[in-house]
Amino acid sequence: MSIDSDSSELRQGIKEASLAQDAPTVLRLVRKLASNSVKPADMMYCSVTLARISKALEKDAAMRPLRTYIVRSVTLEPILPSLTVEAALQGYLLEARLGGYGSYVEELLNPTGPLGQFKPDLVIIALDIEELAGNLADLCATGSERGVDEEIDECAGRVQNLLTAFRSTNPARILFQGLTVPDRSPLGDVGDANLSQSLPNAIAELNRRLARMCRNTSACVFFDLDRLAARYGRSHWRDERMFLASRLPVASQFFGFYAKGLVRSFSSLLRAPRKILCTDLDNTLWGGILGEDGTDGIATGAAYPGNCYWNYQRYLKQLSTRGILLAIVSKNNRADVEEAFERRSADLALKLDDFVAAKISWDEKWVALRELSEELSLGLDSFVFVDDNLVECEAIRRHLPEVAVVATPVNEPWRSVEMLAEQSYFDAITITNDDMGRLEEYKAQAQRVQLANTAASREDFLASLGIVCIFGSALDAPLTRAVQLLAKTNQFNLTTRRHSAAEVEAFANNQGGQAIVVRVRDRFGDAGVVGLALTLTKGHICHIDSLLLSCRVIGRGIETAMLATIATLAQQKGATRLLGEFIPSKKNAPCATFYADHGFALCMAPPAAAPDSIFYELDLTVSVPRMPAWIATEG
Amino acid sequence: MSQPVPLSLRNLLGDVLEMSPDEITSETSMDTVENWDSFRHLQAVLAIEGEYNVQLDPQRIPELTSVALLQSELEKKGVAF
Repeated sequence: MSIDSDSSELRQGIKEASLAQDAPTVLRLVRKLASNSVKPADMMYCSVTLARISKALEKDAAMRPLRTYIVRSVTLEPILPSLTVEAALQGYLLEARLGGYGSYVEELLNPTGPLGQFKPDLVIIALDIEELAGNLADLCATGSERGVDEEIDECAGRVQNLLTAFRSTNPARILFQGLTVPDRSPLGDVGDANLSQSLPNAIAELNRRLARMCRNTSACVFFDLDRLAARYGRSHWRDERMFLASRLPVASQFFGFYAKGLVRSFSSLLRAPRKILCTDLDNTLWGGILGEDGTDGIATGAAYPGNCYWNYQRYLKQLSTRGILLAIVSKNNRADVEEAFERRSADLALKLDDFVAAKISWDEKWVALRELSEELSLGLDSFVFVDDNLVECEAIRRHLPEVAVVATPVNEPWRSVEMLAEQSYFDAITITNDDMGRLEEYKAQAQRVQLANTAASREDFLASLGIVCIFGSALDAPLTRAVQLLAKTNQFNLTTRRHSAAEVEAFANNQGGQAIVVRVRDRFGDAGVVGLALTLTKGHICHIDSLLLSCRVIGRGIETAMLATIATLAQQKGATRLLGEFIPSKKNAPCATFYADHGFALCMAPPAAAPDSIFYELDLTVSVPRMPAWIATEG
Repeated sequence: MSQPVPLSLRNLLGDVLEMSPDEITSETSMDTVENWDSFRHLQAVLAIEGEYNVQLDPQRIPELTSVALLQSELEKKGVAF
């Protein structure tokens, strides 16, 4: 009853806010409604309302339009409202188009068909077992190995051909939905578990093959539907009655979970993972309050409840081994904390050394986070903050809305890991070597800051770093790293175009095109591949489509070195002018004067240019950007 | 002849059919509402099943083409509005 009246109140609020075109309020209330209602009618209401204010959502709530074509063999129409709402809550304005039931091959392979003409940003491929591997059930039911492997090979080969052919004509991002492992077969639970070619084993194998194909296809994510079905209960994930009557693949009470899982999956193709986790200490990293309970009184270690905290520490340590930075943000006395980490080291899964920084003071935590962001040159939108104190959490949300906040339950310490794992903040479709070396790199950054404070002049300082730039092709960088840079670089990014791997390849392979990356190292360490330039030379003009540099290395002349390299290569291709493009965004102010600072002059936009673009040109017959004296180059 | 339609059913069908609940009467049907097509019908059925905690017989579903028919089917299932 109370939930119902809450719902109708929320809906009234949504209605009023939508009439006032107040996008942020609509979103806030829809989030609330979605979190306490699973009723399909509420989702339909929200989805219709969101569609009605789509302009305001794009303009005032910075939502990203996402043209999405869904290739399917099942009925997904009733799930679209949930999908639209979940996408909106994650910042995407979904414009969805559904393909026909039996026409997925034609849709994927005909560039001038309905899919090709729709020009989607994202293609969702949702085919069920009956469509992909219809014979497998009968073959597996025999209990013998005859034909099963061949059938799996055949299915996998068919999908591979589809993906390859599609990718060769269409750069859209792809979400490929995996199969759910059937919960029942004539072999029974025992046969399914023990016979190597049972249907569950065969489908699991097919899923593995499909996931591998997705890994080997650019801008493609595998959506593990079976994991989702298993989490919420395979036996009633699909309502057999509605599946047989209407080919509805998911029972209606799970539409919300399905939508969440699907949006979480494709989000990894569209945005960068967050980079740093800032953890509180008392009642978060360990149990109890250090200042009151003392070094020996805090709970951590092998025995309950210390092992709840040990598990949390271990989870953090594991995040750090894949490149997520850890920091401490705690109201405590530094000496106490240092003593605790030393004396209790056997009971702690983390050492102070595992943290890139420790902000331990009695200052406001949002002040500490802001300092950290400046010291590490990391945007606040790459921060995750974990704390058990709801007041601290609320203060961060209010002062630093870009920071993701996770409130750990103080009376249920065993749930901390689960709560972190539920969040998509660190989801990444690839992890590169550069990611894994990140802790050392950021520690080196801190050492550089120290050196900068002692060096006499900027040039002396830069010369003392011993910077070496290695230029190469984006195709060998590897390509995934170039695409990752495009996706996550915000501050020094002149056009912020989020090109896909296929588009980068097109630059590299086109006549007159260049896709250049730069790898940087200095005496403190190897920063890895940190910069990318995409250019296209036509006639005498070399247009710089994209130029970006990781914020970790800005201000050391590497941006100038990149421009010098672009100029040299452009001249080799016959260009006499560089055409620089700048598209202002909320975050790229640091590079707003880049072209002007390098002697470029404002000029007219070429025909068909984006309306926000500002163009600059440099006559290479008059002046050529030079490599800074303190930078050595290789490659 | 026509009986009043309960508010909860009108609200629900209003959401699904993108109409004001006030416009929905027992005569409202697939013939009178243009966007009440087979997909909306499926959505309406799912919404009704969720709202009233019932399961409709798939063979009956295509026959329940008006508000009056839906309402009487629910009453037969023992739903007390």
